[in-house]
Amino acid sequence: MSVLRVAVPKGAIFVDALAALESAGLPAGVLRENGRRLVYRAEGTEFIVSRPSDVPVFVEYGAADIGIVGKDVLDEQRPNVVELRDLGTGRCRMILAAPEGGAEDVRRAIRHAEVVRVATKFPDTARRYFERMGRQAEIIELHGSIELAPLVGLAECIIDLTATGTTLRENDLVVLDEISTSTARLISNRGSYRLRHSEVIALADAMQRRGERFG
Amino acid sequence: MDRKTPRKFATTPGTRDVLPPESTRLLDVQGRIRDRFALFGFREVLTPALEYAEVIEEHGLRDVSYKLFDQDNQMLLLRPEMTTPIARVISQRLAGSPPPHKLSYVLPAYRRASVGRGQSAELYQAGVEVVGSASPTEDAATIALLVDVLQSLGLKAPSDFAVVLGQSTFYAGYLRHVVPDAATAVTGALAAKDLVAVDDLAEELPAEAAAGVRGIPRIVGPAADKSLIEEAGRFALGSEAREALENLREILRHLEAHGALGAVILDLGLSGRHEYYTGAVYEAYAAGLGFTVANGGRYDNLLRCFGKELPATGFAIYLERLLSVLPEEGPQPLLVLVGGDVGGIEAAARLRRLGVPVLHLSEDLPPEAAVEYARSVEAAWISYPTTGGVKLAAADPAREFASMSFESVARTVLP
Repeated sequence: MSVLRVAVPKGAIFVDALAALESAGLPAGVLRENGRRLVYRAEGTEFIVSRPSDVPVFVEYGAADIGIVGKDVLDEQRPNVVELRDLGTGRCRMILAAPEGGAEDVRRAIRHAEVVRVATKFPDTARRYFERMGRQAEIIELHGSIELAPLVGLAECIIDLTATGTTLRENDLVVLDEISTSTARLISNRGSYRLRHSEVIALADAMQRRGERFG
Repeated sequence: MDRKTPRKFATTPGTRDVLPPESTRLLDVQGRIRDRFALFGFREVLTPALEYAEVIEEHGLRDVSYKLFDQDNQMLLLRPEMTTPIARVISQRLAGSPPPHKLSYVLPAYRRASVGRGQSAELYQAGVEVVGSASPTEDAATIALLVDVLQSLGLKAPSDFAVVLGQSTFYAGYLRHVVPDAATAVTGALAAKDLVAVDDLAEELPAEAAAGVRGIPRIVGPAADKSLIEEAGRFALGSEAREALENLREILRHLEAHGALGAVILDLGLSGRHEYYTGAVYEAYAAGLGFTVANGGRYDNLLRCFGKELPATGFAIYLERLLSVLPEEGPQPLLVLVGGDVGGIEAAARLRRLGVPVLHLSEDLPPEAAVEYARSVEAAWISYPTTGGVKLAAADPAREFASMSFESVARTVLP
């Protein structure tokens, strides 16, 4: 059997992802060596490190067998992959927020079905959120600090992820609505899930037990 | 910065020109698949690329189709798949002949592709349909044919590929019997391949029902492993699920007789396009590729759209994806024969009669230029006519010419 390739996301859920992989017996410790390498190999497993939003792409194409990624990314991209386990870590909320001063205006605009201008890294999530409410929005896709947009008048509100709410508070943004909550998920491509089922499901089960223990 | 390519010189997004050697390989694979289909008695049809929009009833497929309007302002679409056009052909043209109708096709289908998602707008497909038989023997026979085709192209099971087999009414039937209110939500979650959501839904159900909701999608493994079907038997509650399992057992029994069981993986959570398939459903996967190489199954309701009660089963192979996982093969033998005026024409004719593919250049090129040309067309040999034979050399810079007869050229060049 060829090596198992695992896609690991950089950033906020990196550390928890390593813990989950190690709890399932995978030699993910090599990733702690703090290098700039993109590919790590240990004991018949290969780890690739990528931006969180690229993890589903590597997995969907079969370039990686399994991967760890936030539910927020899966909701946005809707990749055709198997979602195996909720790892329970990296909990955060997808929220609609606006500057304290403009919050009432945004509420009123949404109530009256006026078009609001919203900045976000998650344009599809934003579009579906407003469509579900039967409301209209002009969606501006950004890739960096979303909080900046309402401060300089680029948008009236934002749809973004928040874990602790600190960044929101620091920028005088208040939460108007909670759209969804997100945790880290173990995903697999459809081929690996079937062709290497016993291997993949054993990993998923081991990770789940850990999730349950830490509740 | 690059100058912008004028738009009229580009192909439209998702489409491309296919050039040698890829086109040669694609055509070769199409030819070999045709031979296998014909060997199993399937007869090939051609249908128009354009169909009336209402021919395609499935919303998902209609959404991804390219649409246009004819002179009467009727909406047309470029066929997004071949199964429905074949159903139309059978209902319109073959209504008088006795079933089952066993037809095949090797044609492209068209879908609006989202760029960057590994999809092309023009998909080369090859497939078969068996229309007018409800027998599980036909499901097994088409699966066995798919296995045969993939093996004949050099793929080995189960190391290179496997056909993953499910039964779409087993899980749905169990749910409808045990937890009718939750059935739609659970099948929806499973169709989205979201096992986390399936588990979450199971949490809210009585323990007995939850066991199957969770347990059935977990029955995955080699079809030759009899314990999987035994385990599925625990959840065969209600007539629908019982019949579905019996149907699956029959298919497996026949697959064993076909000698194809070793290439099959059971997955009782596989649902495919879950509102389309009505029984057996299967997808072929190749190692290292996340997408399906082929998919198929039983669709007993489709022909009803055309006013016929004809149960049907079949599969489609995605040829570009298949090509990407096939073992590399060297180029076909080809010899570049240079110049020689009338003598060259005679030499080329003699060689072709011996079965040697010859590209004859009428212009007298020096050997360096001949080698460069030969390499650009993937020809392994260059040659110049002599009296009663040719001077032959490999198409590389260190070439050494040897004079030989036409017969020895054939022995040297042909595999």
